[in-house]
Amino acid sequence: MIQANEFDFDANKGNFHYDTQYAFDAGVGLNEDVVRYISEIKKEEPWLLDFRLKALETFRRKPLPTHWATQDLRNINFDVIRYYLAKGQQPSRSWEDVPEDVKETFERLGIPEQERKFLAGVEAQFDSEAAYSRMKEDLEKEGVIFVGSTEGLREHPEIFKKWFGKVIPTSDNKFSALNSSVFSGGSFIYVPPGVKLAQPLQAYFRINAENFGQFERTLIIADEGAELTYMEGCTAPKFETSTLHSAVVELVALKGAKIQYVTVQNWSNNVFNLVTKRAIAEEESEVRWIDCNIGSRLTMKYPGVILRGRKSRGEVLSIALANNGQHQDTGAKMVHAAEETTSNIIAKSVSIGTGRSSYRGLVRMPKHLRHCRNNTECDALLINSDSQTDTYPAISVQGDDNSVQHEATVSKVSAEQIFYMQQRGLNEAEAMSLCVNGFVNDLIREFPMEYSVELKRLIDLEMEGSVG
Amino acid sequence: MESASPSSNFSIFESKDLFTGFVDQRSWEPGWLADYRMDRWNAFSSKGSPALKDETWRFSPQSRFSLSGVKEISSDKKQLQLSKHHEGHFTFGELDKVILDSPSEISSLIECQGPDLGAKNIYHLASAFFECGFLLKTRSEIQNSEPFTIRHRLPENQSISFRKNFISLAPNSHVRVVEFIEGTNHNSKNFLGNVLHAHVGEGASLERILIQDAGSSSTVFQLDNFSVGKNGSLRNICIHLGSSQCRNEIKGQLIDEGAEFDNFSLFLGTGEQLLDQRTMQLHLAPNCRSNLISKNALSGESKSIFSGMIKVLPGAMNTNSYQTNRNLLLSNEAEADSMPGLEILANEVKCSHGATTSKIDDQELFYLLSRGIPQKSAEKLISLGFLEEIISEINDEKLIESIRARIESKFD
Repeated sequence: MIQANEFDFDANKGNFHYDTQYAFDAGVGLNEDVVRYISEIKKEEPWLLDFRLKALETFRRKPLPTHWATQDLRNINFDVIRYYLAKGQQPSRSWEDVPEDVKETFERLGIPEQERKFLAGVEAQFDSEAAYSRMKEDLEKEGVIFVGSTEGLREHPEIFKKWFGKVIPTSDNKFSALNSSVFSGGSFIYVPPGVKLAQPLQAYFRINAENFGQFERTLIIADEGAELTYMEGCTAPKFETSTLHSAVVELVALKGAKIQYVTVQNWSNNVFNLVTKRAIAEEESEVRWIDCNIGSRLTMKYPGVILRGRKSRGEVLSIALANNGQHQDTGAKMVHAAEETTSNIIAKSVSIGTGRSSYRGLVRMPKHLRHCRNNTECDALLINSDSQTDTYPAISVQGDDNSVQHEATVSKVSAEQIFYMQQRGLNEAEAMSLCVNGFVNDLIREFPMEYSVELKRLIDLEMEGSVG
Repeated sequence: MESASPSSNFSIFESKDLFTGFVDQRSWEPGWLADYRMDRWNAFSSKGSPALKDETWRFSPQSRFSLSGVKEISSDKKQLQLSKHHEGHFTFGELDKVILDSPSEISSLIECQGPDLGAKNIYHLASAFFECGFLLKTRSEIQNSEPFTIRHRLPENQSISFRKNFISLAPNSHVRVVEFIEGTNHNSKNFLGNVLHAHVGEGASLERILIQDAGSSSTVFQLDNFSVGKNGSLRNICIHLGSSQCRNEIKGQLIDEGAEFDNFSLFLGTGEQLLDQRTMQLHLAPNCRSNLISKNALSGESKSIFSGMIKVLPGAMNTNSYQTNRNLLLSNEAEADSMPGLEILANEVKCSHGATTSKIDDQELFYLLSRGIPQKSAEKLISLGFLEEIISEINDEKLIESIRARIESKFD
């Protein structure tokens, strides 16, 4: 069995920050000059600047989606956020070249250790830009590209420009527009036809500065028959004021490709985490989103798959833990756009204290399709009497040869279960932890081993003091 | 997804003259009722258009619920017929007569809120312009074996009829109410705005059966708001067969301990029929139970929207609440939209919902085909079986027979 390694799962492990001198600072607030400044630093081509400026217009025009989403969004003050902060770093290829304070940050979070153990490539993003990016050499020889967004669009436009902003258009929602105008950092990945990565690629996102907005942009293209697993982890220190993280993640699985995207989000409790994630699945391809949301003040994230090719398959497995004062508003979207497509959604949430977890889903099957299938299961567990959970699925089906099933349950840990375990010598908190772990166990098994062991430990930590 | 807001279509209702003219003809009504109408009319006219992407109208083609085809408000009171009963410890009568003879009977009921699940405009209009309706009020323990029957006819072409209906059950009374919405003229583009308020008192029970079989060009709004008191029980069964489009809002509030609420509904859609159903199971008190089953069989280009919410408020411990939506698609053009929902703010609960949409099971069909039953009959048999679960909830053999016959005739 693989030894559990120290990744970012300790609740307080990410709670530290360094005073850092930034060489590039776009200042506070959002206007056209900020966008031009970011584009200039990155020495971007004119089309990209145009793209950013148009996106800024769209962002200004679009209302906050508060007609269905929480009013808490109104508490985001876009004028006090800093949109770009960087030390002028070029992603270092060797760990020794990473600046001392940044290195210390990631060493405390265990990145190099992690990499040595089992990763095929790793990228570590510090505020706006990647500080460290390295991939195993043999993969480079096979033509795998793993770079940041700036480099991706500049060095490999023939590959990335075609899909950039195509899976998630700028105007998809207010926050995708915001990201499109000020994005920096993130991962651009291309896996050539037939290349199957045996080990995962990993990105690590870190917010260090206060009042800072992180807007990374990720685009992953798996060419025909390619396979990869990508994992991302996120942390931020606990500042007094709130911080915004608003990413756009686009996945493209071409014919027969397989993409597995694993997220473990453990932001501190002042982060607004508003992320747009979507994949296009071509013929016979498979996209799996495996998503675990533990931290943040408000997370709104609905990974989606557009099943565009025959026999393609989409899957979302999601775990959410909402502790005191947190709102995990997560879900999944499955848009069936080709015949014989299948999708599966399994979402489990645990609400602790005054935490609130919501599931929001969309499943759509238009009438000209046949043999489409969807299965959705949402289970919620409530721990305390003021915990809250909601389920808001929307299912639209036409045609007489498609089928959909959706099921949701809400329950609490029963007094009998706790009593049973207390009889056998466990204290109440241990018994409760065991029940919660049992509740999410079948999903945790789907995570890579290193993650699943740590996730269990983290759930124990979150459960501490929640009983009584 | 959503089309223009409905209020921009309330053409004839936008003029204040219409309202003042209407009120002037009713100078005989008590002052508090005139005030109430005025109040509702103001609420309607000040309400502005609902947001374009209002969640309570999601998936609904709002243009089909437009009132722009309404040319006048019907004043024909003969459209409402009530069954005759020997006198007992109850009041059962047409609302306009009750207002004339003993207005105090309804003065306390009139302020009842609507279900408020989206069609607020219709609620305000019905409250301002209602012409008739029925009142059923029991005064003490009664056990009436004869059901109270109400027949709602639809008005003339291009006119709308607004009705307010009240049921109030005193403690420990047990009553069955059967409502028919009927229209025979299938070319008549008529409208019905029907609001029901029902309160089930302590230990009382109400079984309400609604058979909606309006003409095939009609538009029906049926807004039902129920509240159930301590240890009370409510069974509401809705059979939707007619109308071109029907918006049915049902809210069941469990306001005191031990209350129970069962809601069963079926819709058999043919042609371009549309059923837009919005429900709410609202748990306000501990130890209550609710269960909802909604079944839709859809052929032709028909469409059903089911939006159901189970809401459990803080303190409503030991709640058991279930919700099931089953859709059977019988044609390639049919559409079923489903939005089952849960909002749970208490932790000592057992709540679940399930929604499925699919076609007829191939094996079931094969079984019947292999026994020489033609495809069409086989599909009909399976659909009838699918809907039977709801029909069998009705405790009235004669009624069941007539519903079955009506359903079968829809298949031919």
